Amino acid sequence: MATPSLIPAGDYRTTYAADTTIFPTKASRNAAILGIVAICFAPLLFSEYWLSVLIQIGIYGIAALGLNILVGFTGQISIGHAAFFLLGAFTSAYISNKFPVPVFFSIPLAGIVTAIIGLIFGLPAARLKGLYLVIATLAAQYILLDFFSRAEWFSGGSVPAMANPFSIFGYTLRGDRQYFYVVLAYLVVSYLLVTNLMRSRDGRALVAIRDHYLSAEIMGINLTKYRTLSFGLAAFFAGIAGALYAHYQLVVSNEGFGIERSILFLAMVIIGGTGSIMGTLMGTAFVVLLPESMEWIAAEMKGGAIDRALQLNNNITFLREIAIGLIIIAFLIFEPDGLAHRWRQIKTYWKLYPFSH
Amino acid sequence: MTIRSLLSTASVAVLLATASVSAQAQIALGHLADYSGGTSDVGTPYGQGVADTFAWINKNGGIGGKQVNLDTNDYGYQVPRAIALYKKWSGADKVAGIMGWGTADTEALTGFLAQDKIPDISGSYSAALTDPTGAGGKAKPAPYNFFYGPSYSDALRAELTWAAEDWKAKGKTGKPKFVHMGANHPYPNAPKAAGEAIAVELGFEVLPPLVFALAPGDYSAQCLSLKSAGANYAYLGNTAASNISVMKACKSAGVDIQFMSNVWGMDENAAKAAGDAADGVIFPLRTAVSWGGNAPGMKTVMEISKISDPTGKIYRPVHYVAAVCTSLYMKEAIEWAAKNGGAIGENVAKGFYQKKDWVPTGMEGVCNPSTWTDKDHRPTTKVDLYRSKVSGATDGDLNDLMAKGTIKLEKVKTVDLPRKPEWHGW
Repeated sequence: MATPSLIPAGDYRTTYAADTTIFPTKASRNAAILGIVAICFAPLLFSEYWLSVLIQIGIYGIAALGLNILVGFTGQISIGHAAFFLLGAFTSAYISNKFPVPVFFSIPLAGIVTAIIGLIFGLPAARLKGLYLVIATLAAQYILLDFFSRAEWFSGGSVPAMANPFSIFGYTLRGDRQYFYVVLAYLVVSYLLVTNLMRSRDGRALVAIRDHYLSAEIMGINLTKYRTLSFGLAAFFAGIAGALYAHYQLVVSNEGFGIERSILFLAMVIIGGTGSIMGTLMGTAFVVLLPESMEWIAAEMKGGAIDRALQLNNNITFLREIAIGLIIIAFLIFEPDGLAHRWRQIKTYWKLYPFSH
Repeated sequence: MTIRSLLSTASVAVLLATASVSAQAQIALGHLADYSGGTSDVGTPYGQGVADTFAWINKNGGIGGKQVNLDTNDYGYQVPRAIALYKKWSGADKVAGIMGWGTADTEALTGFLAQDKIPDISGSYSAALTDPTGAGGKAKPAPYNFFYGPSYSDALRAELTWAAEDWKAKGKTGKPKFVHMGANHPYPNAPKAAGEAIAVELGFEVLPPLVFALAPGDYSAQCLSLKSAGANYAYLGNTAASNISVMKACKSAGVDIQFMSNVWGMDENAAKAAGDAADGVIFPLRTAVSWGGNAPGMKTVMEISKISDPTGKIYRPVHYVAAVCTSLYMKEAIEWAAKNGGAIGENVAKGFYQKKDWVPTGMEGVCNPSTWTDKDHRPTTKVDLYRSKVSGATDGDLNDLMAKGTIKLEKVKTVDLPRKPEWHGW
């Protein structure tokens, strides 16, 4: 668990503003701003392939952020996150296809619609906990996916729905190089919003519910309201991410967004670090890059000595799936606090270099 | 934290950053294969056939002296993964063509293919891919989509034509009952409307469609529905492994019904796995002969097969042979393009229009003559219907079973459908 409250000796904060600042030092703030500016040049430097990887990290990072509000900050659980992601994708495609709404507006609208549906599916969360809540969210996953495969007026049924390219006031963005900036903008805004939320009264209420719901209730926090709200927020970010995904792919299909995708979202949160906003992005990057790197290794191995010795042939792809599972298990055993924790350790190590120990 | 753990973190990062090797001056082709998804049972032999054929082409000097760089990817039958791969293929190093696969992904790509001018010869034979101009009004224009074989709709039309005759030949009276079966997925659904329309014309009573998943499972409930509805002819729209589950369940439920399957719905492996449950199933065969058949072109197929099986002992199902034909059509289209302005997508698509009743060189008697024109992408409307015959236990090697005749593919009828304009595109 992230422990930002453990302030080292000699670090005094004398105002509330200093206590709730996002960046502990000027250097860290400048580094973050510099990082965002630097990444703006990515479309000029990176190949299409790497750009598509970055865009995926951005899109899934927003969805995982929503799930982290729910899992990491409120202590609830959901294994229906992929369904909300897909709902956002279909909604945005539907709105921009059926109504004269430019994609620029259909993305936030899809987020709002998804949030409303999320609030409805979040209602059981007011009463359920633990395993029972898992099953309730599993129901959301199946109900929504079944809806998509039947509601031909909305999602095209079994035939993939087409989505328009991103456009603002008659100007249409085409290609990954331009779309990258849309995703980057949404990513920065989402992460800032959630960071700020966690500094507010509402954010602290969510954390209080996670840490001890009974104490929180005694202190006057409305459990039902905040638990449901947390579901709504999670669904909102899933919807935004889904909508971004729809207009990136230009095709929305309900394949690949089953329970396994929901679990991958959970994996992003757990690997990154539950309750860590920066960790969410790290976890997402890890989960997106893992299958890609396995792909490279498989491609390298193809036809090589190991391939021939074990007669892997086409089974190399299965090797990839196995390796992903193994790495996630290894992660849970050796790094249960997530990448955010490891990152902090690396920083601490270099802070004192070369005089540690 | 120690230096060692830091180093290990760093080495993982280096490993992650190993970039893929880029291709040199070659002819790049994309290949969507399903080795792990819902149609992997038939996707594996087909994908192997495509890979073997291009490896064989490269071994024999490539196309016009240039090697083919076939980028084979297992996309698990998932549209999003197909789209992601397509983005790669339509990017800076644009491919000259795509060896496609499923109906859902091919139909999703149709618009992009036309925009980027990349021909895609798919494993999907959906009739919606056959109208290059969209003039027929039944389907969206698909100028860069091709496939080899009769469309799903035409195959079903032929099967129902046969079924109507079969009903009379057996001396039965009354209206035969027809039911369409398959997953709720674009692929099994593709010929549904066409099949049900001609069934009504031919005097069938059309029952409500039955849904069963693309993956093998327990489909006893579907069989009981068939029994209680008294269906006489059922079309199985899924792939072989899933269809077998239905046939087996219906056999044990004692359902007396004539199954007719999709072109991907039956093969020698499936007949072996299903045993006597597969006896009597009617299915269309895309090639003139199956593995080991008596045709001059079979020698080429055997040679290609040796690429991945040097012993020459593996039995190749019908899908493998079809994949060889499909790949060689693409090869010859690229060959024409290379001589007429260069091997780029736009020219390769034109390469498909150059011959009438086209049979790839060296494949005489194996690939059925096909004709593509810029107005009509139905390569053929002639459908060869076969019946699988299983006469005994199907344990043991498939080669032996086929040699002994325990499993036989028996020709039933060739239905030569008219090229009706109102049948174009659905």
